Amino acid sequence: MIEERLVLKKTAIEKINELAAALMEMGTLIAPVQEAVGANFKTIENPQEVSLDFYNTVLSPKFVFFPQTENFLSYQIAKPFTNAEPVELAITPVFLFGVRPCDTRSFAILDRHFEASSIVDPYWRKRRENATIFGYAFALDTPPDNADFYSMLGIHAADTEGSDIFMVRNDGELLLKSITSKGEQLLSELTLLQETSSDDENYYTEYLARGREYKTRTLCLEQETAAGKFEEIFYNNDFWGKTASACLSCGICTFVCPTCYCFDICDETMFKKGTRRRVWDSCMFTDFTLEASGHNPRTNVFQRLRQKVCHKYSYSPRKYDVISCVGCGRCVRSCPVNIDIYSIVSSALKI
Amino acid sequence: MNGKSCCGDIETAGDKMTGFHEIEERLKSEAFRLLQAGEVSVVLAYGKGTDERHPVPFAALTTADVENIVFNEHCTHNMARYLLRYPSGTKIAVALKGVDSRAVVVLIQEGKINRDNLVILGIPTNSMRNQQNGQIIDARTTCGIANPVLFDILLGEEVHEATVASPYDVLAPYEAMDEDARWNFWKTELDRCIRCYACRKACPMCYCDPCFIDVTKPRWANKSPQLAGNLMYHLTRFQHLAGRCVDCGECSRVCPVAIPLYLFHKKVAKDCEEMFQQTAGMRIEDKPVIVDFRVEDSDKILE
Amino acid sequence: MIANNPYMPVLVEIADVINEVDTNDIKTFRLIFLNREDEAKFVYRPGQFAELSIYGKGESPIGIASSPTQQGYLEFTVQRAGSLVPGLVTGALHDLGAGARIGIRGPLGNSWPVEQLENKNIVVVGGGFAFTTLRSLINYMLDEKNRSRFGQITVIYGARSPGLLLYKEELTAWEKRGDINTVITVDKGNESWQGREGFVPSVCKEVAPSPDNAVAVICGPPIMIKFTLPVFFDLGFSRQNILTSLEMRMKCGIGKCGRCNVGSKYVCTDGPVFSLAELDDLPHDF
Repeated sequence: MIEERLVLKKTAIEKINELAAALMEMGTLIAPVQEAVGANFKTIENPQEVSLDFYNTVLSPKFVFFPQTENFLSYQIAKPFTNAEPVELAITPVFLFGVRPCDTRSFAILDRHFEASSIVDPYWRKRRENATIFGYAFALDTPPDNADFYSMLGIHAADTEGSDIFMVRNDGELLLKSITSKGEQLLSELTLLQETSSDDENYYTEYLARGREYKTRTLCLEQETAAGKFEEIFYNNDFWGKTASACLSCGICTFVCPTCYCFDICDETMFKKGTRRRVWDSCMFTDFTLEASGHNPRTNVFQRLRQKVCHKYSYSPRKYDVISCVGCGRCVRSCPVNIDIYSIVSSALKI
Repeated sequence: MNGKSCCGDIETAGDKMTGFHEIEERLKSEAFRLLQAGEVSVVLAYGKGTDERHPVPFAALTTADVENIVFNEHCTHNMARYLLRYPSGTKIAVALKGVDSRAVVVLIQEGKINRDNLVILGIPTNSMRNQQNGQIIDARTTCGIANPVLFDILLGEEVHEATVASPYDVLAPYEAMDEDARWNFWKTELDRCIRCYACRKACPMCYCDPCFIDVTKPRWANKSPQLAGNLMYHLTRFQHLAGRCVDCGECSRVCPVAIPLYLFHKKVAKDCEEMFQQTAGMRIEDKPVIVDFRVEDSDKILE
Repeated sequence: MIANNPYMPVLVEIADVINEVDTNDIKTFRLIFLNREDEAKFVYRPGQFAELSIYGKGESPIGIASSPTQQGYLEFTVQRAGSLVPGLVTGALHDLGAGARIGIRGPLGNSWPVEQLENKNIVVVGGGFAFTTLRSLINYMLDEKNRSRFGQITVIYGARSPGLLLYKEELTAWEKRGDINTVITVDKGNESWQGREGFVPSVCKEVAPSPDNAVAVICGPPIMIKFTLPVFFDLGFSRQNILTSLEMRMKCGIGKCGRCNVGSKYVCTDGPVFSLAELDDLPHDF
């Protein structure tokens, strides 16, 4: 249990850009900006670009800790020996601003994986340590997006878990509350923020309570029941065949998902110089499990979709004691053929 | 005017085009009839999704499945791409709009499916809407044809418009750019690609296994989404689709970062028309442009 | 500088390359560490693997063919991966000779559970190229410091033809020993072949090892496994007492990249050694 700190500050929404500018002085600011496709987290170069007028981003913020490409070492092909040098991971403090509660929860889920079984992924760890997270509550006066289902995973619209500082909107003002000591430290350094009154305190506390009552579409889901059910229906080709009949096996779902982490390690060379880097991959790609012998355990689309769903709702609970999904709805919104993982889970539980 | 609709007695709503509701009814009725009679073992159409704006491509296998079939302005998916999932010889009924039918023509020309195994349920419409932004889908982002070019049963009245926009009008500003400006435009756009390969999977013509980009020897491009590799992937893909792309716009609609791939495909299609008088998938008797050599072929491509 | 980075290879030098088979596509590489510290850290057990690294090409997970009782070097037997999916790394490795340097990450994976094998009779069954980590286990058990800890050792090893048998000199040496029953067979012999002819499953039936206080360790191509397992079930071996090493596409080798995920396991960290009973609990997705 995190001890509740009593630091609550505020700023006018119109002055968000000043807050952005202040953070940019102290490190790298990553915040939502409006793009043609919708909002997306970007490294901010101009504080005016920052906008909190969005529902949720198209791509998840996992790239902050798990970038799409991460360089491991660089090499120079030469005779008699090819030389290789590790690539320094040089990062400044990062401020990740405007993260919805479902996404702050996703970081804890990925922590279990990247820091698991006594082998810690050093890149993930270092990037996590260097970041301060500004969580941002969902608006409670408008209904949730149809695609969201974070309530099913036990996440609230104003859930502070995973944030260092948690932000709640009060009309034209933004309240910022410290959740961790890291957050408290930062809030005290941001002198441009205003002090708050007891009215503000009450508003904040009440908001969190109302956030608990606010629901997305949901059903009662016991982690162990889900894990067992998916295990039970693994060989139900009828179910998986029907579920996957529209699926293109394109991979967009895994790219936008905050808890997907499959990657490849590639040596990428151009004219004798190159880098060994980690690159996002997807279990939905046809050749993901293709072996050197030519054997591929998952040649069919339904096998790959089954792997993805079972990994999230069955294997991850068994291995890490957590469902590897936060109900953010991104995969549902981005799927070119409107496949809905909530429906898949709901149908599976009825079998 | 009574077109080739299956149920000639039903009144059409609206004088220009058969309403979506009618089309849906006819689609369900045909699907039921074909499945019940055993004439096909699967009907490829659209089914209910989370809400009306999000229908899902659907394969009806039994008469009970027919209940789930829907058709509305958001049924934009090109069902042609699912045809190759079934073993050769499977009897399939498939719901196709104008441009979707062109894709099927190309697949037949390339020997990937047999015309005799298909029952094509043609849907004439020019009122389809983009699921994300609700905009009408027309010749600006697709080929714009409203009527299927190949069908067995037409599920509505053919659409006859007074003026038909050219699918190449949108190219004008880009053709007016000088070479450097155009190159910069494409570099900027393709730099945003995240190599999710949705474009490839959405395309009915991208059926190669393995796709060139996945082959390790030779390694045509690196896996990470950097400009050099992105250019290699997309520019090669544009060429692989020359004379085959039917301008259905699916690749661009599925792209999560909104790269206007359709512009390049339209340009290549325009060149094929001008140089070789050929438009992909319009007539089943045509030969694909890449395999058809005529002595009088234009040499413009060498300039 | 990231200390203890599990993605960083250390350098080793190829001390020797031995051509194992007459088709010239399987070679054993003897590797020595360039750095004493790296060597001291590389403490391994039979059954484990390592990622061999060729900068510019990539990495390949290869089972360790030497036994930890063999000091001063590591051995890896590598097949040049074939026509369907050309092997970038194994192909490049095969072009290297003594003196060349490559990278290595390891040891990785679990191992043959040698503690559980103590005081038991061990039946080792191998086919073709899959014999590499079995050889590590056999040499480990035969080492004079270890031999007394194990009961009877029976080895049944077969290849398609005499030229395709791995470790030919070692096989001959084992045949001469009194503390191991070595049965070598080929599917089809040639003019000079004096030994047995017969498929591995039928030879197993002939040898008929007793299941009493015994554990079977079986590695081979899928077709061999398919026909050998029923023989062992018929002989009375239980599923907990039959061990195997699972083949799966791997990348990171440390349970992070997700590629070798089967059920709730990562084959690279929870395996590759599994008993049949453990495999029964996993979805058949491999």
